[in-house]
This record gives sequence, C-alpha cells and structure tokens, in this order.
Amino acid sequence: MAEMWISMGPQHPMTHGLWTLKVKVDGETVVDTEPDLGYIHRGVEKICEARDFTQITTYCDRLCYASANTWSHSYIYAAEDLLEVEVPERAEYIRLVAIEIQRIASHLMWLGAYGPDIGNLSVMVWCLREREMMMDLLQELGGSRLHYNFPRVGGVKRDLPHGFAQRARAKLKLFLNRIQEYEALFDESTVFLVRSQGVGYAKPEEMVNHGVTGPNLRAGGVNYDIRWAHPYSVYSELDWEPPVERSSIKGADCYDRYRVRVEEMRVSASLALQALDKMPGGADTHHEPGDPMILAKAPTRAPEGTTGAHHFEDSRGESMFYIAGGGEGRGKQPYRVSIRSPMFITIPFAAKCMIGYKVADIPAIMGSFDPCIGETDR
Amino acid sequence: MIHMASGDWLDIVGWSESFTSWSMDNVHDVMPSNDIDMEVTIPSTWAWPEPITIGPIFNLQQGFASIQPALESFMHATIMCTVVFTVMMLTMLAIPYIERKFIGRLMDRLGATTTLRSLWVGESGVTAGEWWKQLPFGMGIPIGWVFNLLNSYWGNSHELETVSRVNNRSYHGYWFLLPGFFQAFADFMKFATKEHIVPKNADKVVFEIAPVIIIATTIMVFAFVPFGPHIYAANPELSLLFMMAIFGVAPLGVFFAGWASNNKYTLIGGMRSAAQLTAYEIPLLITVLGVAVLSGSFNIIEIVDFQMGQNEGNVWNIFLLPLGAALFLITMIAEVERIPFDMPEAEAELVEGWWTEYGGIRWGLMFAAEYMRSYAACILFALFFLGGWEAPFQHTLSGLSTVGGTFETVFTAVPGLVWVLIKAWLLFAVFVWIRASLHRVRTDQILEFGWRYLLPLSMVNLVVATILRLEVWTGEPWDLWVPVTLTLAALALFVILAIDEDKEALEAQRRPYSTQAVVKASPGSHRD
Amino acid sequence: MGKIVPIKTQRAEAKKLAAAISEIDGVEAEVAERASGTNPRPVVLGNSSPESWRALAETLHSEHGVDYCSMVTGVHWPEGDEDKKWEVVYHLMRTGIRDPPIEDGLVQPVIVDPSTVEGSDTPLELEFHVHLPDTRTPSVDSVQDIWVGADWNEKETWDLVGIDFDGHQGMRRVLQPHETPKGFHPLQKQHRLRYHSFQDMYDDSQGFMRKPADAGKIK
Repeated sequence: MAEMWISMGPQHPMTHGLWTLKVKVDGETVVDTEPDLGYIHRGVEKICEARDFTQITTYCDRLCYASANTWSHSYIYAAEDLLEVEVPERAEYIRLVAIEIQRIASHLMWLGAYGPDIGNLSVMVWCLREREMMMDLLQELGGSRLHYNFPRVGGVKRDLPHGFAQRARAKLKLFLNRIQEYEALFDESTVFLVRSQGVGYAKPEEMVNHGVTGPNLRAGGVNYDIRWAHPYSVYSELDWEPPVERSSIKGADCYDRYRVRVEEMRVSASLALQALDKMPGGADTHHEPGDPMILAKAPTRAPEGTTGAHHFEDSRGESMFYIAGGGEGRGKQPYRVSIRSPMFITIPFAAKCMIGYKVADIPAIMGSFDPCIGETDR
Repeated sequence: MIHMASGDWLDIVGWSESFTSWSMDNVHDVMPSNDIDMEVTIPSTWAWPEPITIGPIFNLQQGFASIQPALESFMHATIMCTVVFTVMMLTMLAIPYIERKFIGRLMDRLGATTTLRSLWVGESGVTAGEWWKQLPFGMGIPIGWVFNLLNSYWGNSHELETVSRVNNRSYHGYWFLLPGFFQAFADFMKFATKEHIVPKNADKVVFEIAPVIIIATTIMVFAFVPFGPHIYAANPELSLLFMMAIFGVAPLGVFFAGWASNNKYTLIGGMRSAAQLTAYEIPLLITVLGVAVLSGSFNIIEIVDFQMGQNEGNVWNIFLLPLGAALFLITMIAEVERIPFDMPEAEAELVEGWWTEYGGIRWGLMFAAEYMRSYAACILFALFFLGGWEAPFQHTLSGLSTVGGTFETVFTAVPGLVWVLIKAWLLFAVFVWIRASLHRVRTDQILEFGWRYLLPLSMVNLVVATILRLEVWTGEPWDLWVPVTLTLAALALFVILAIDEDKEALEAQRRPYSTQAVVKASPGSHRD
Repeated sequence: MGKIVPIKTQRAEAKKLAAAISEIDGVEAEVAERASGTNPRPVVLGNSSPESWRALAETLHSEHGVDYCSMVTGVHWPEGDEDKKWEVVYHLMRTGIRDPPIEDGLVQPVIVDPSTVEGSDTPLELEFHVHLPDTRTPSVDSVQDIWVGADWNEKETWDLVGIDFDGHQGMRRVLQPHETPKGFHPLQKQHRLRYHSFQDMYDDSQGFMRKPADAGKIK
C-alpha cells in the first residue's frame, strides 16, 4: 500500500481534545506527522488585556479544564510577583492542598483516558470514580466541580470548610489503597506491557531541548522539578521527592511515563496529607473570607514598566505566566499576559516521537504524554 | 438420518416431521382419487389417418403423492428454520443483557436500569410524557387506558432519590421486570429508524453487498448448530465442515465493507480484520479438526454424542483436549473480534474501524451479527468441549443409589436445550470478563501470536487427538486415567509457563519503580 | 524537609552569568529578584539589541549551559519609545540536566540533591528582552536551531503578534486558522476587543439573536 496521509481529528475518540493529527502512513507504519492546533483558540491572552487582575483568575481555570487549580494558581503567583504582594503562610498551605489534590484529579483523568486508548475500558470508570472523590473535595474548597476560581491575589478566597481535613484524610487514604487496583490492572497485564514498553522513546536531553518538562521528563531518569529548582510555595517545608523512573536504554517509553504519573499521584496525596498536618493555625480552624490569615491586602494597579513572571510545575510540565503591567484603567488591567503552555510544546514533540511506530501505537504514545488541548490553544 | 444415541422429550424435529407428514397425508387423502380424464380425441382427417388422442389423465392424488416427499421436506425445512431462528434470536436476548450488566458490575457501575415500567412512568418519579397519543388511527387510546391503570398501581408513588440516581446506585424498577432488559429493544428501534447514509464516493454496489454477506453468513451458521438433540435446522453428515466454511465467509464481507466505504480508516480496519481473521481461521480449523478426529465424525450431533458416551464413563472433550479447548477459546475470541483482539474496530484509532461509515439498520444488524458470532462461538464451545446437552455428571448422578432416581427424573424432564444454553451463557460471561480486564493487543502482535504460537500449538493438539483416537480409544468408554492425566498435565504446564518463578531475572528485566525513597503515605506500591 | 536549591547559590550563579554575558556588545544583564507569594528568587534579567541576540543565544547555549527555552513573548508598544515599539521577551532556563548514564545495561537515574547543586549545574531562570524600533515588519533572528522548544513559540508569536523570525523554517499559523488573512495579528494593540460581555454580543438571554448592528455575523 502506498503512503497516504490520514487525518486523525478534529473529531476523534483518541485525541483527548480538539485538534488534528495528520499522519502519513506506509501500510501500518507512521512515516511523518503534522499536528494542527488552534481549534479552541479562545484568545485568552487578548481577553486578559481587558480584565482586572481578579477577573483573570476565572479565565485561567478554563485554560486546562482538567487541571484548573494548577492554572489559576500559576497565574496568581505571577500576578503576585507583578503587584508585589506577600501571601500569608496559611494561604500558601491551603493553596498547596488545592494544587496537589488537583494534580491527583488530573492524573486520574489521564489514566482514565489512557486505559481505553489501549483497550481497557474498565479502568476509565474506576479512575473517574476516584476522581469524583477528589472533585468532591475540591468542590468543598472552591465551590464548583471543575472551575474553582479559588486563589485571590494575596491569598485564597476562603478557608478550609469545617470537617474538610477529616474528609480529605479519609478520602486520600482510601485513594492510596485504590491506586493498587489500577496498578494491578496495568502492571500485571502482559498485554499492557507489550503495548506500552518499547514504544515512543525519548531521551532527557532531547526532551529538554524540545521544551518538554514535568512527568514526561522525569520518566527519562532525571528528577528535575520546578518545585525545587525554582522554589515557590511551601514545598520546602514538606518531606517529598519527585518520582523518577528508571527508563530504558533508549529513553523513556510509554510505560515509564505511565509509572511516573502513578507514583506522582502517591506523592501528591502524601503532600496534601502533610500540608493538612502542618497547616499554621491547624487544619480544623476556620477563618472568614477576607481574614488576613488567608488573604493579604493587595494593590490592584500595576504601574507601567513593571513585569511579573512565574514558572510553575503544572500536572503536565512547566507552565509560566508573564504579565506586563500598565494597561487600561491606569494599570488596573494588565498590558500583556503571556501564557506558556507545556502541552503546546509537548504535542509537536510527541508527534515526532511517533515516527517509525505503528498506527496502533499512536494513541498509546499520544495518550502517554497526557495532552490537554484547553491549555494548548488558550 | 444419522444414528442418534441421545435424545430428550423436546423432539422438535420429530414433531415437525410428523406434523408435516400428517398434514401432507391429510392433503393427500383429501385429494380426489379418481382419474380425471381430460383426453381429447382428434378425429382423423385427410392429414392423419388415425384419430389422435392427446391430453392428460389427471389423478390428483397420485400426482400429489409423487411430490409429497419433496413438499414434506420443504415444509419441514421451513418450519425448522423458522423455529431455530426464533430460538436463536430469543435466547440471544440474554447475550447483550449479560454483556451490559456484567461489564457494568466489573466497571463498578449499574448501567441501564430503566425497565418496562418506564413506558408508563417516567424517570425519577416523573410521569412519562403521554407518547401513546401520537400513535396513528387512535391506537393510543386503549394503550393509554392500560398505562393509566398501571400507573395507578405501579406508578409515581415510588419516590427515588435524585442523588442516588446521580450516583447511579439504585434500580429504577422491579427486579422481575429485568431492569435494563428492554434497552436492547430500544436500541434496535433506534437503529431501525435511522437514516441510511452512503458516502459520496463509495462503491455503492459493494457497500450494499458487504452487510448482506456478513449478516447472511452469520445467520446461516445457525442452520447447522443443534440447540438440542432434536432442535436443528439441518443435520448433514458433514455439518461441522459446512458450518466452519460458512463461518469463514464473513471476513470477506468485512473486507468489502472496509474497502467500499471510501475512507482511509475503514480501509486500514478492513485490512487489519482480513489479516487477523485469516491468521486465526487456521488454528481454529485445526483445533476443530482435532475435535472431529477425536470424535470420529464431522457431524456435530455425533460429536456431542461421543462425549455423552454409551453408558457410564463418558468424558467431556475439555478434559481430553484441554489444550484444544484453550486454543478454541482464544481463536474464537479473535474470530469474533472481541477485546483483546478487536484491533480492526479499535475505537481509539479507527473510530469504529471497518464499519465506521455504516449507520442505521445496516450497522445495527452487523452489530447484532457480531454478537451472533460470539453466541455461535459460545454454543460451539459448549457443544464441542462441554458435552452439549448433557448435564454435568449426568451418568454418575443418575447412577447414585438413593437419589439417583430423582436425578434421573430431573434429567429427563429438563430438555437438553436448557443445558446448552446455560453453558453457552456462562461461557459468554467469561468472554465479557476477558473483555473488561484486558487491553487491546496491537495488530502485528496479534498476527505474531497467531502464526507463531497458536498454529504450532494447534498442530500439537491435532497430534494429541490423533494419538488418543487411534491408540488409546478402544471403542469402550474412556478409562478414568486418560482424562485425568491429560487435564493434570495441561494444568501443570499452564502453571509452569504462566507463573514466573525466576524472580531475580524478572526484577532485573523489569524496570523497578520509583527509585526515590519517597516518604510513603501508607500503604505504598502494591509491590511492597 | 523538602530540599530546594539554596537561594544563595542561585544568586551567585546568576551574578556570574550576568557578568559574563554583559561583556557581549549590545547586551546588558543584571540579577533581579522576583518574588511570588512567599519566596523570592533570583532571575537573570537582560536586554539585548536585535543584532547581538543571535550571538548571545549561541553563547548562552554553548558556554553557559542554557538548555531550555520556555517561552517567547511578543509585545506591541505603539505608545512606547521610538526604539521600543516592539519587544520580544525570551524566557530561558538552565536545568542542569544530563542524560542518565547506563551501567550494566541498566539506566542509572540521575537523582540530583537540590541542596548540593553548585556551579554550572545550578538551575537558573533567565529573561531577555529584545526591543525593536518602529517598523511595519519587525523581525528578530530565530533561535529555532539552538533550542527546538523555541520553534512553536516563535510560530505563535508571529501568528498572534506579528513579529517575524529570520531563519525560521516552516513559519505558519498555529493558533489561528490557516486561512487567516495575511497581516492580521490580533495581539497588536490596534485590534480591540469588540465585546466584553454576553449582553454586549447578544440581544436575547439565550444567545440566539445578535444585536441589530451585528446582524448576520457569526464571530
């Protein structure tokens, strides 16, 4: 059979979002790829130039809707750099709890989508079942199930609800037991190992040069993590290490990326539990919204010439916000908001990784990089 | 016909035969038996000297008698085909139900829980919209009376929590109305009323022919499958051969469908399907050949009779050919394109694979055909390896001292059809279980598995079967040591091969997990 | 406790790097402190002239181990200084990552202890601003071949802001449709948001009817 271009997408069960992957196949082998993004480009960067700093948080939730908290916090840290605000410590702990639970939920969504990509339909329902637990916790914190609008410039919008710590501990402990179920379904299955090992190799130095970070990078055997390299929040107060996978000789394959994320779920659960234990003021005290323990007074204008930037460890890699102040309303609105999305850079890299493998490996490879198109297209 | 060693009271073939012969005899008797002389004598003219007598002498009764056998067999065949088709379709209703419910439980969800009751009550205690009023010709009025009556007895007083509905944790109905059973009918209605869309540049002739091939050959398979000792549509001497031949024609239809849709995805799906089904036909046929060799016949009923034995000491083939049973199972799952072998229709890459472009009833019937093939596979496994219509330990139980008589009565009362169905449905539950647990194997891995592992194993199975038949079988029922040795040997082999003993080699080969000494929130990795 | 890179090491390294690259013509760099929330962190903040950007990029990559390009931001300043109408901000990082070594056929993962990093392995954050004068065709040298991570970032910057990159292979629209008219770059300041709320856009509460002035429009 001659070579032909197949267009996977924009409507396709595999693609985890709205984008097109054009694949040139020679029989069953992939010869060339070309990703086509921008289907849900909503112009968030332009919209943010006409919004106040508090109003932008809602937009950032919707950048990557599977991992909303990490994105709104990523923005908030950059805004706090711009407006030069110092955040109370309790607020940082609460933010950490929210971020890490969100990371678990995001990875569960990934695992729930990765199983059906490879053919196992049961794990999708199991992972979503656990994700419901996490979403219930985040709903208690943030008010809604998917987009929370949780942080404010200077802190968080409200404190931990009554009894939250107890429920969170119970659910996280239950979740840690359940991870073993998923591992059993994947790691004990020869079929999964055969499908995911030896597929989609990527080496760390190559990944870094291409701009890939996060779990995809740590699957290659290096433990780089923004949380210790460019520290923010209170990660230094807690006992944790980013999980690293001993990759194969040719680089990280899909199996390594899968293992790293499963371990990351454990690490995130451990971080959240530690943060609840170490919270200044105790996890069971409750402050009213606006209390200086959880929200510091912040200026609302950023004069022209000021800039704020922050690199953040998102569930999928390194996300970054760069905000230039001095926009409309004498600085009430930013002049330019620039959003760095890890997936925007990883998807072309993943597309390159696919060359040489079979068509059937495309969802395995693509799924293992965990694409989320909301943040890609902004 | 074939000599039959086993039988039960549900002798549908016999009833049909006697019914047709009785009715044809009655017709024969009713026919006038006198000669009707319709000869015409043409007087002689100058052209011919002798008068010519031409014309028939009708004797309706004798004329009928000459075509009566043919007529009887035609009627009998029609009746049996209808009966078998009906039995197949009705018993197949359990199949999607098993699939849906069992896979739902495995996935930790209930699945469709609306019942027949939702026709007159809505969901969650809301009254159903009065849909019957839209029926033409006033048909809805009596229906409306009935439903209002039902509503008053089994109606809205059932307050069901919305929360439990959201969490899908409750039934919406009464158990005896089999919640979720009528989902299959609703699905069928939906497919039947959908628009028939043909892609613009598709090859229209082939596009239309392909579903016909698939559906027709699948249904024809059931012509040769005996549902009970006396429930079959056709029973030639080589029924096994016919059936496997017809079973193998459907891949052709699949390939046609994939090619004719003018779609790169379906083309790839069709190619994959053709490759996979070809690769797995061969071990399948050789395994079935092993069963035939062991049983000494190509006739399915004789194969079942062979397992039932003459007196005591009968042994099901699964204990004589355990390798063959395992091979049959695996190759059949590949033949009916179920997970783990459903690459040709893998949703993740190919949307629906070779049948992406089909909609409406064509897709609905092909989907039904896929389940029919699974059902056929299950029934065939039950017939070839699980003793068909014999109850487990039938002879032993009947031969017991005190309770034997009770068992004997029970076994005589229960028709063989019931045992076949139970075995087939249980086996289908195993199919569903496999589907829920395993991942999809990649096409080249499937092909490698089929050609490099299953084919040699099926040859081994054939050799074992031949040796058993020629050397070990004495015409008497099997000695006990034969099946016991074979089964234990197979189990031992399975344990040795499947369970990895060399832990160190395994650990070195398998990359160890997170190498960080994480402060493990309990309990940690499942390998600890 | 969780180990992090000590801020003193990072500051010292940042100062060294800033001093080293300030020696290139047209480049001036210093160490700024950014603080998000509770933690301050040092950043190498530099300005480069467009002519020396390529040389600077090559030096950074080859001599200073800057191996990661995070983002390329383009900003349009129509009301800025004469020679600062366009700005390209490069966000780079030094990660200190090497391929893990292979011993006995097994990969040995590189576990960096953050509290002991020093020297040229210290993770660093760099931010370089390249200002361009007023022109209708702003362009900067491309660094696509130095850091492949800059590839799609540069495409996006051109697509949305309009700043071209010399030497960039395969420049195309990435976020906007391929058929977007030439010269349309929405993040330039002369393009303004037309609608700011649902009420601005639609005439009815369900979003079916556009306002009379926008009758017939889809976007």
